[in-house]
Amino acid sequence: MNAPILHAVAIEKVFAGRRGGAAVQALKGVSAVLHAGETLGLVGESGSGKTTLARILIGIEQPTAGEVRFRGRPVRSRAEWRAVRREVQYVFQDPFTALCPTMPIGAALAEPLAIHRLCPPAERPGQVERMLGLVGLDPGMARRLPSQLSGGQRQRVNLARALMLEPKVLICDEIVSGLDVSVQAQVLALLVELQRKLGLSLIFISHDLRVIRYMSDRVQVMLLGETVEEGSAAEVFDAPRHSYTRALLAAIPDRNRAPA
Amino acid sequence: MSGPLVRAEGLTVAFPGRDGPRPAVDGVSLVLERGQSLVIAGESGSGKSLLCRTLLGIQPETAAVSGRLEWKGRSLIGLTEAEWRPLRGGSIAMVFQDPTAALNPLLTVGRQIMDAVRAHRRCSGAEARARAIEVLGLAGLPEPERRLASYPFELSGGMRQRVAIALALSAGPELIIADEATTNLDVSIQAQIVNLLIRLRRELGLALIFVTHDLDLAAEVGGELMVIYAGQPVETGEVRQVLADPCHPYTRGLLRSAPTLRSTRAEPLRPIPGQAPRLGTVGAGAPFRDRCSVVVEGLCALRRPGWTEAGPGHRVACHRFARDGRAGLP
Amino acid sequence: MTAAASPARRAAPGLLVRLEIGAGLAAGLVLLAAIVLAAVAAPLLAPADPNAPNLMAVRRPPSAEAWFGTDAVGRDLFSRVLHGARVSLLVAGAGMVGSLGLGTLMGLLRAFGPEPLRPVVDRMIDIQLAFPYVLLAIAVTSAVRPSTPVLIVLMVLAGWAGAARVVRAIALRERENDYVKAAEVIGASRLRIAVRHVFPSVWPALLVLAAMQMAAMIVFEATLSFLGMGVQPPTPSWGGIMLDGRQFMTSAWWLTLLPGLAIMVTSLSLVLVGDGLEARAERLRMREAGA
Repeated sequence: MNAPILHAVAIEKVFAGRRGGAAVQALKGVSAVLHAGETLGLVGESGSGKTTLARILIGIEQPTAGEVRFRGRPVRSRAEWRAVRREVQYVFQDPFTALCPTMPIGAALAEPLAIHRLCPPAERPGQVERMLGLVGLDPGMARRLPSQLSGGQRQRVNLARALMLEPKVLICDEIVSGLDVSVQAQVLALLVELQRKLGLSLIFISHDLRVIRYMSDRVQVMLLGETVEEGSAAEVFDAPRHSYTRALLAAIPDRNRAPA
Repeated sequence: MSGPLVRAEGLTVAFPGRDGPRPAVDGVSLVLERGQSLVIAGESGSGKSLLCRTLLGIQPETAAVSGRLEWKGRSLIGLTEAEWRPLRGGSIAMVFQDPTAALNPLLTVGRQIMDAVRAHRRCSGAEARARAIEVLGLAGLPEPERRLASYPFELSGGMRQRVAIALALSAGPELIIADEATTNLDVSIQAQIVNLLIRLRRELGLALIFVTHDLDLAAEVGGELMVIYAGQPVETGEVRQVLADPCHPYTRGLLRSAPTLRSTRAEPLRPIPGQAPRLGTVGAGAPFRDRCSVVVEGLCALRRPGWTEAGPGHRVACHRFARDGRAGLP
Repeated sequence: MTAAASPARRAAPGLLVRLEIGAGLAAGLVLLAAIVLAAVAAPLLAPADPNAPNLMAVRRPPSAEAWFGTDAVGRDLFSRVLHGARVSLLVAGAGMVGSLGLGTLMGLLRAFGPEPLRPVVDRMIDIQLAFPYVLLAIAVTSAVRPSTPVLIVLMVLAGWAGAARVVRAIALRERENDYVKAAEVIGASRLRIAVRHVFPSVWPALLVLAAMQMAAMIVFEATLSFLGMGVQPPTPSWGGIMLDGRQFMTSAWWLTLLPGLAIMVTSLSLVLVGDGLEARAERLRMREAGA
């Protein structure tokens, strides 16, 4: 198999206890590997450390031990992270807090281009319009404020903003969990389509095994800061080896299961 | 006493709007017998939470309630606060989505439950304490006696929701309304809480109204299902029968949108296009018409569909189904 | 003043209603506008030269000819109060703008500046808030000759910490939001995040603060000038006019009471505006949360 594009190596993360509370070890030597073009599903319940791992992978949290490698090279300094973020982007869970409340959508989408001086200012509105179209939003949205958009529309805007830099890797942290089922399906379908069109590699994080199954090529199941099982989606879902995975699967409500 | 516990007919809850009242719950009829369960399924903005709140008389003050709503044959519309008090938290209890907000963070679990017990029944402190231990045990908290002295922040989310359920049980209600009561919980905890509610219904003979956006969860709870869209019920029937043979385009769309444990990209999800109409803007006509792929020209835009029998106890409000039956469905 | 708002409310939807301006805010704005207008037009409105003495008419009580009476050297008090308004409002305005500017800068620096600077800013705010400003003024004016620029510097020094505390609290709260992290992820610098993303959220609070700070500054100017550490004679400022009349407080009450009233009415209008703006922001926030 080819070399991983993004690689978390033996990550440890300890959060200092607040006001004399005990320190919390959020991650206990977790590794994760993402190959080009694939979708890695990270699944676990609250406290599993999946979000911490994702935030370490984009450098908004620093690991206590272990390192993140991008295309085989370790990423350490601020400058290195800045360079990596041209190619690795992150979509936040909560579409209501991840957009600056006072900035119109168009300005928010143009910002990555301005920061990285990617195209002349005159061409930016065109780029923004093109990206809005790509995520299925009306170009007129550019003038609106986040508070005027629905949750699904905001999540599309978040996706669009992450894609403005034309990244190779997209980390999606619970991006559909706050959405209604019908909207969730729209966003998932959009993500699948974008991945195909843009050749993205995805890390898809969710607590919902049904969504993970649908999206992922490979799955990594996390529990209390450790990986308890990983493998291809088919292996993990059809022949789970770890008892925790089996318990999780059994807890998923399923309309096709016989009544208790 | 005979007759159903709850009966609603044409229940409408409307907010004042610039051009007349805007119904957020629009013509809901339902019958709930003792010991039965009703699952209300819908997405955000469907009016399902408002419906629950209206059953408990805690809808916003600006909302105008019309139609019929009865508790054991007695009308609940226009009751005074004093008349509501013995019902609310007494005969009808509610479990909310967020247990953290439903519990007072400054009081111990025991104190809160004992207060609730004594709000509805004159009894001594010792009796209230005994009742508190009993309901905590019923709600499946291990070591209920020790839990009395715990504060909500000392408990996990699942435990807190159990305490909220114990609180709901404290006055010996006949109906529990669970409004998205498991939505914010981890899947394994969610399964436990759902099983607990099912067990309480069976063992205590409670009626249960379970509100959810998750049709798979609806199947686990069982009983009657009411699918609600834009404030209007569009399909009702026994849960598994409806899910096995959905006959409203919206129900079908929802099921195709929701992945199951077997869905893979090989069979792509088919999302419902567009978005739900804004509160109270549906007007006359079929509520789902703007997103529906099988609209009946000249009918869906004008007239609200009536009920059509789709099977024993299975009813659908859809012009297309009324005209073409299952053959016309997408 | 409710009378001014209610006809607008009836003529649906009136301008005041559309702009969400309540009765208090409307009253404050009207009052403030009148005061500012009077100050700007002082040379036109003033019946006499504010600095021309008239020893033939000394300490005349208010009358039809001299509305506010005359002072110890016979200068027309109404003209002096009108011209004093220009000085007092200008000085207080400069102090307000300066203190809010410095306060905003320090508050944002605390939230987004380099790590080692943060405790330094915190301590500076604490010290500043604990230090009595009159004492500070006495200390400074004993070293430097009092003048209008010195007065403005004193005002900035006295007022910045309050503003910094408010800005710091808002910036720290906003910093925890995902949109700040999201800006970091797309490569935005801290400066950019502070200025482009967080500052707009500080703005509404700053408006409220500006009104309140202005009221405080007007009183501050009056206090220092009254103590002889502010605007120097013969330039009329409200505090200075009161200082002139201090010796005659028992015999010529109008010399202190009328400029005092001007100070009071002006601060009242500003407080009304500040409170009104705050209530308006709260209403808009509630509306957004409800919708």
